[in-house]
Parts: sequence; structure tokens; C-alpha cells
Amino acid sequence: MRVVVVPPVPALLSRYASLTDPVPELRAACVSAVAWLVEHDDARIVAADDQARRIGEELLAQGLAGRVASASERIETRIETGNILVMANGSARRSEKAPGHLDERSFGFDSEVEAALAAGDAAALGGLDARLGAELLASGIGALATLADLTVTRAVMDYADDPFGVRYWVVRWECAS
Amino acid sequence: MTLETLRPFRLGRHRFGEDATVMMAIVNRTPDSFYDKGATWAESAAFDRVRLVVEQGAEMVDIGGIKAAPGAEISVAEEKARVVDFVARVREEHPHVVISVDTWRAEVADAVCAVGADVLNDAWGGADPELVDVAAAHDVSIVCTHTGGVRVRTRPHRIEYDDVVAAVLHDTLAYADRAVAAGVDPEAVVIDPAHDFGKNTFHSLEVTRRLGELVATGWPVLVSLSNKDFVGETLDQPVGSRLVGTLAATSVCALAGARVYRVHEVVETRQTVDMVWTIAGRRPPARAIRGLA
Repeated sequence: MRVVVVPPVPALLSRYASLTDPVPELRAACVSAVAWLVEHDDARIVAADDQARRIGEELLAQGLAGRVASASERIETRIETGNILVMANGSARRSEKAPGHLDERSFGFDSEVEAALAAGDAAALGGLDARLGAELLASGIGALATLADLTVTRAVMDYADDPFGVRYWVVRWECAS
Repeated sequence: MTLETLRPFRLGRHRFGEDATVMMAIVNRTPDSFYDKGATWAESAAFDRVRLVVEQGAEMVDIGGIKAAPGAEISVAEEKARVVDFVARVREEHPHVVISVDTWRAEVADAVCAVGADVLNDAWGGADPELVDVAAAHDVSIVCTHTGGVRVRTRPHRIEYDDVVAAVLHDTLAYADRAVAAGVDPEAVVIDPAHDFGKNTFHSLEVTRRLGELVATGWPVLVSLSNKDFVGETLDQPVGSRLVGTLAATSVCALAGARVYRVHEVVETRQTVDMVWTIAGRRPPARAIRGLA
């Protein structure tokens, strides 16, 4: 099975499209990771809230549209499959101009999450401090914790950056089973 | 006016999509126009002006050899001397710019079309009946204006209308029909209510307020508002202090769906139109991330 982690960034939604994409590198990484995720089978979404779910659904629809003609039909059936799209990001308090202003605890927290994602250390995701994550406006930390029992055979970090004071990751995991 | 009701259109060889707006920068080859008072009378100055407005993003220039207001009689030969070679030179150096020529005379129109003009901007409402034939023969666009029947280069004097917008619609649509009947491509016909032409300030304000009725005809609408007397009289501002009023009027016309803006100030008008076009939902923001990261 495959797991992809992408951040639930509303700027990725087509309804918020600009003439110049404010997140071109993030979008490119998300699109190609999701295309990889659904290369052979559909995927289900694990998200912290409705907004994150909608963003995941649109990314999946785009990924499936690249693979099959009728994306909407395929999404209906994704629950049956093993692949997972996790909507999560790190702290949104990484600079004075960040959405949540600066909180110095962001850096330690994000480093811990990032190291686990990059190494495919699923168990470490189960031990994250969800309360601290909430204080740092991190999204989907609970969703990441649902991956804790997986055995990761390959982990690739496609994108890790904080262009707007929010830590974004695009990660691909290949897992046993 | 939603995007569905705005149509693609053509200005000579240049095509524009249903969401497009066009800045038409005024370039006077006159010694006496009201706003610039001959600043681009010298050919080199006029050419510098073209270069500047193209840099500023104007898609189109409107080259005129005779000021609109009454003044010294300009012969056909003199008008041609002022504009024909100049059009040829602009065509050569700016192949992607739409060239409009502000003339009502078929003979001048024929000469400028032969050297690359794309649009005949007839500010005088078809005073020369052969102008549409020239437009058809050269497959160029024509701007069909309303002047209330006044003679060329006269000011309105005590003109009244039962309904000025009805008169504008009647005359511009009749002119458009005449152009199409003469063989002009329907996609290449533009209508212009012609603010201040055959209109007092109250008329021009009403045309502005009701511009949506022109847009609703389906013909692309050109507006020429820049620094005009109706703006000056409304705000009690002399020429040179009318930009704010011009842009306010521009906003109202943009919201209604006007497509082509004949302007002195390209940058300010472009920003105004883009802002309104985006508010209207016809253009995305340039780059929006606030609250969306």
C-alpha cells in the first residue's frame, strides 16, 4: 500500500486560483505525489476537518482524472482500497508574519514530525504531542498518528518548506501489506 | 454582466477572449487636442508616446490626426500626412499592437488600412457613409459611435433626448447593422456611446449609469471617458485634475462590462479595470495567499 502526506492548504483549491500561483512548487509536488498514490488503485482520505477533506478530494480527483476518464465515479469507491492520503501540516506559527505569529516551540515540534516522516518512522508519529500541535496550529497531527502501526519500506520527502510561516511536507511512503 | 454574456471579439487581426479587456491609448498627431495640447505633435514625440504606452501594457493605440473640437479645417491631404506614414511606422515596430485610427473619412481610412491599421474609430457616427465599405474591404474593425446627429467637429448645443440611452442604442445598433450589411465581420464591430459627443453632462452621466443596457446587446462596448468635460463639470475640475473622476466613471463602466477603454493614463486605468473585473468575478486575483496558507 501507499501513503501520501500533503498539507491542507486552501490555496490549492481551484476556487481560490490566482493568475500567478502562490504555491507552484507545493502544488507540483502534491499533484505528482497524489498521481503516484493512485497509480494502481484509489485512495481514502484521512483529514482533521471538512476543509482539509475537501482539499484532499480535489487533489484526488485531479490525480484520478489523470489516470481514468471519470474521476468522480472512482472516488465513490475509494473507501475499499488501502492507499491513504493524509492531510497534515506542521506549525503555522514559524515567523512573525505567519498566520499564528511566532511561537519558538514550532521549530522543535516540526523537526520531530519532519524527521519521522522523512525516515518512515511510523511509530514516532504515534507519539507526537497533539496538544502542542494544536497550540501551534498544526493540522492533522491526529491523522498522522493513525499511521503509527504501519511498516514503511520506503520513505521519500518530496517537499519540505515554510514559505508563509507554515511548515508544509509532501511525503510518499511505500508500506508493507 | 457575467462572463457568459460577454463574447470574444476581434480588433482587426487581433482576437480577444470573452474575459478580455483592452486599453486603447490615445496618441494624438495634432497640435491642439484638449488634454495634451500638442505634446505629441512632433512625430518623434508621438512615437515615444507609442513606445511608452506599449511598455505600460496598452494592447491598442488610437492615432488621431484631427482634434474632436471645432478648429481649423484640416484637409484630407493634411490628415493623411499626419497619420498614414506614422501608422506604417508603428505597424512595423509594434507588430503585436492593435492600431486604431481616429478618423471619419473613408479616404483617410483606406490609406491607413493599406499600411496596417486594425480599427477605424469613427467618433462621428458614420458621417462618411463609405467608411463601412472601407472597413469591409480591408477586413478591419469599426467603432460605431453615437453622436446624436451632430455635424462633425461641433459641440452639442441645447440637445435633448426623450431617452438618451434609447437614442444611443438606436443609432449605434443601426450603425452596427449597416457595417455588417456592408460586409464587416460581426465579430469586428464595436459600439461606443461616445460620452460628451452630442451630449451634455447629464446625458453622459446617464449613459454611464445605464451602460449595462449597451453591454446587453452583445456587441463589445468601447468607452471613451478619459479626462472629458462631463467628468470636469461633475467634479468642478479643470483638464489635468480629472483622473480620479475618470477612474470612478471607468469603474462603473467596467462593472457593467465595457471591453475597450480609450485612455490617456494606461497604468491607472488598467489597474482600475482589473480591480473591478476581478470584483465582478471575471478575472482571478493576481496572487492571493492571505488566509489561504
